[in-house]
Amino acid sequence: MQLFTGLSLGMLYVLLALGLSIIFGLLTVVNFAHGAMYMWGAFAGAATIAITGNFWLALVISPLVIGGYGLIIERGLIRPLYGRDINYPLLLTFGLQFIMIEIIRIFWGTSDQPFSAPASLSMPLEIFGVFYFPSYRLFLIGITVVICIVLWIFLEKTNLGLVIRAGTRDPLMVRALGIDMRRIWWLVFGIGSALAGIAGVLAAPIRSVFPEMGIAMLVECFVVVVVGGMGSLKGAILSGIIMGEASSITTLFYPQMADIVIFLVMAVVLLIRPSGLFGKAGLLE
Amino acid sequence: MGEILKTINLTKNFGGLSAVVDVNFVVKKGDLQSIIGPNGAGKSTFFKLITGELEPTRGQIIFFNKDITSLPQTAISHLGIAVSYQITNIFPMLTVFENVRVAVQSRKTTFNLWSKAISHKEFVEQTRHILEQINLSDFKDEIAANLSHGHQKRLEIGIALATQPKLLLLDEPTAGLSPMETRQTIELIKKIAQDLTIILVEHKMKVVMEVSDRITVLHYGKLLAQGTPDEIRNNEEVRRVYLGGVKI
Amino acid sequence: MKETGIGETFGLGNRELRVEKVGWWQRLVELVSRNPLVFIFIFFIIFPFVVPYKALATQIIIWGLFALGYNVCLGYTGMLSFGHAAYFGIGAYTAGIVLIRLWQNIWFSLLCGLLMGGITAFILGYLCIKRRGIYFAMLTLAFAQLLYFVGFQWVDLTGGDNGLRNIPAVPLSIFGLSINIYTPLRFYFFVLVFVASSLLAINRILQSPFGHVLQAVRENDQRAKSCGYETSNVRWMAFVISGAISGLAGGLYALYLHFVGIESLYWTTSGQVVMMTLLGGMGSFIGPFIGAGVFLYIEDTLSVITPNWMIFLGPVFVLCVLFFPAGIWGTIKDLSTRRRK
Repeated sequence: MQLFTGLSLGMLYVLLALGLSIIFGLLTVVNFAHGAMYMWGAFAGAATIAITGNFWLALVISPLVIGGYGLIIERGLIRPLYGRDINYPLLLTFGLQFIMIEIIRIFWGTSDQPFSAPASLSMPLEIFGVFYFPSYRLFLIGITVVICIVLWIFLEKTNLGLVIRAGTRDPLMVRALGIDMRRIWWLVFGIGSALAGIAGVLAAPIRSVFPEMGIAMLVECFVVVVVGGMGSLKGAILSGIIMGEASSITTLFYPQMADIVIFLVMAVVLLIRPSGLFGKAGLLE
Repeated sequence: MGEILKTINLTKNFGGLSAVVDVNFVVKKGDLQSIIGPNGAGKSTFFKLITGELEPTRGQIIFFNKDITSLPQTAISHLGIAVSYQITNIFPMLTVFENVRVAVQSRKTTFNLWSKAISHKEFVEQTRHILEQINLSDFKDEIAANLSHGHQKRLEIGIALATQPKLLLLDEPTAGLSPMETRQTIELIKKIAQDLTIILVEHKMKVVMEVSDRITVLHYGKLLAQGTPDEIRNNEEVRRVYLGGVKI
Repeated sequence: MKETGIGETFGLGNRELRVEKVGWWQRLVELVSRNPLVFIFIFFIIFPFVVPYKALATQIIIWGLFALGYNVCLGYTGMLSFGHAAYFGIGAYTAGIVLIRLWQNIWFSLLCGLLMGGITAFILGYLCIKRRGIYFAMLTLAFAQLLYFVGFQWVDLTGGDNGLRNIPAVPLSIFGLSINIYTPLRFYFFVLVFVASSLLAINRILQSPFGHVLQAVRENDQRAKSCGYETSNVRWMAFVISGAISGLAGGLYALYLHFVGIESLYWTTSGQVVMMTLLGGMGSFIGPFIGAGVFLYIEDTLSVITPNWMIFLGPVFVLCVLFFPAGIWGTIKDLSTRRRK
């Protein structure tokens, strides 16, 4: 059962790590505001439910809103920084997330927001009459898989996806072919943000919703991405699952180490494979 | 023999691309050897293999009878190989003087945290000497990024000279220079060639013909021909492939 | 080439002479940036009498020292670290724990704080230093968080969530005298001694052969390598120095508060020093102190009005990143030199 919880936690990691990786892989930008976007996704979901009472609507609206926000941010704040040192977008998104947290604090206060799963998913699912699985976590796992498949189809089978993959491997070449990468970057940043947003609203029923919820998640997401290999989507998925499981299993057996275990995994992985599981060596050296 | 550098079957593959293929290359002491070849022939890659920036896929590099094939860049620098880059590779925000001085210092000390760097007179003297050689003494207090392109290329060479190399690799030192600046650089190269062994990569055939003792031609990563300027000039294959049948 | 403004240009071969009028404030800025230490010392002597309350001055110079140490890493070596809370926090906890459990001697406790900061940087540096840029930033953040969680759990040593409490106010023993340093003004000058010493030490290091190599490595790591410098070792050493100074700042902070909170290891502390350094200006002595001063002053003034004071500082920081990456001091210097080129 714990394995199952680990898997659902892993799915959240996967969604976040995918968003971060996809942005990093193409734009070489580390979105420090990724955690805050996750948090805003949860709050956007809460707001939608407060207005409409419909969880499924929240599931659709959240990523759209956060994705749209990401588009605005990229265009307005990040694009001006492209000529400069690669540290600048990181610093900017770092400052941005403080603002995002503070805005939520002002409008929603600092305590937890109640957020419950929709009734249809609140009953445990019975399998073989013997095991009871929390339906919501099952749903979470399922929908993440669906999202991953959709993403895979998009990247592998569409023209736009082809351009994105090419741009990750050889940005100069793509530009030489006359394709305006800036639009693509803009779009990808939006997609990555949307992924963070949907992770937020999906996480909301099973984790507390409060302004700082993205902070710890962000650091964990970084660890997942580093272990998976920066810019690698396969790595993000695999690493997310591993880390989710590691964290859950440790909570069961050795709770004090639960927070620490993902860092230890990271340290070990880095010593053996410095570029992460699927990372390309020489990236950022 | 007088050979100071020798490569044996040197090969470098990047995935599916073979940049350098089975190159057997020799440089004699005191020579000025030029490497020519069309773009993409593997010249820059070849340099990077020698300086240790890239690791060869196969083959060996021998320098003064020592196998340096898998040595790191820093060790190779201390053995006496220096390089001046095609794309200007200086320390942009440091002064011209400091650019050279810090290169001079590399031979002696890195982790001295206490004494004042300027108080090391021998570094200062050597720096002045090199600045005179490359004719940039007037600019010693200028920020390197503010120099003209031509001056920056001379600074490039100065940084390489500052490490007291036995073998100097020059990658297109006259690229982008005006005819007058090219002439100045040629004179500089001739001057330093008196005391050093040099490998030169160049596109300007006149320069190559004028300064070289020997010429090597690379084509698609393979060594096409090696010989004196006259031999190369008269080599049929070279003319066809590289010079396009044009008489020089 | 930048325009000369009200200058005139005489061409003389490849030399150019400019004759121009230079304002008094440009001369002042140039004078200060050429002799930063003198001005800093003079200013800091009168500083506590200029701010609303003396404890604020003490906070500013402690954080300024932390930012100075951080600046060695970012400004002088070019490495963006997001995990410097580790060294500050460990320095603070070490000093506190030494005073509580080991030996009630202030000099020793601060020395331990400094050393532990350096040793931690030595170890973490080894794991992180081979990577550059963003990868490095993320690794430093991750390892600092690791230390935070360890500190959080190790309640026996650190007090966990409650923090390390009741650090004794040990009198300073010097030349056989025992002095109580815990009045606001006295403590300020006590801290100032360490700040001044650190400034002198860093100044010396920057002027040393190592200091020059450090700046070359920042300017062009690859070129420095081709000159034969082991650049990762150079950066590693700078990282250790940076960690040691941060540890000293942490120790001083522990003595100041008589308390060490777990948040001193949290990444918000790392973030705060990053913001101060960027705000004030990297690559100078004055910048970090200006950054600390501005940051803490704004926090102090605004937090009385609203707990959401970050809503003002956040955009200021973002604007800095976008338009004034040189920070306050850096921008002042740029403005003043635009006329004299």
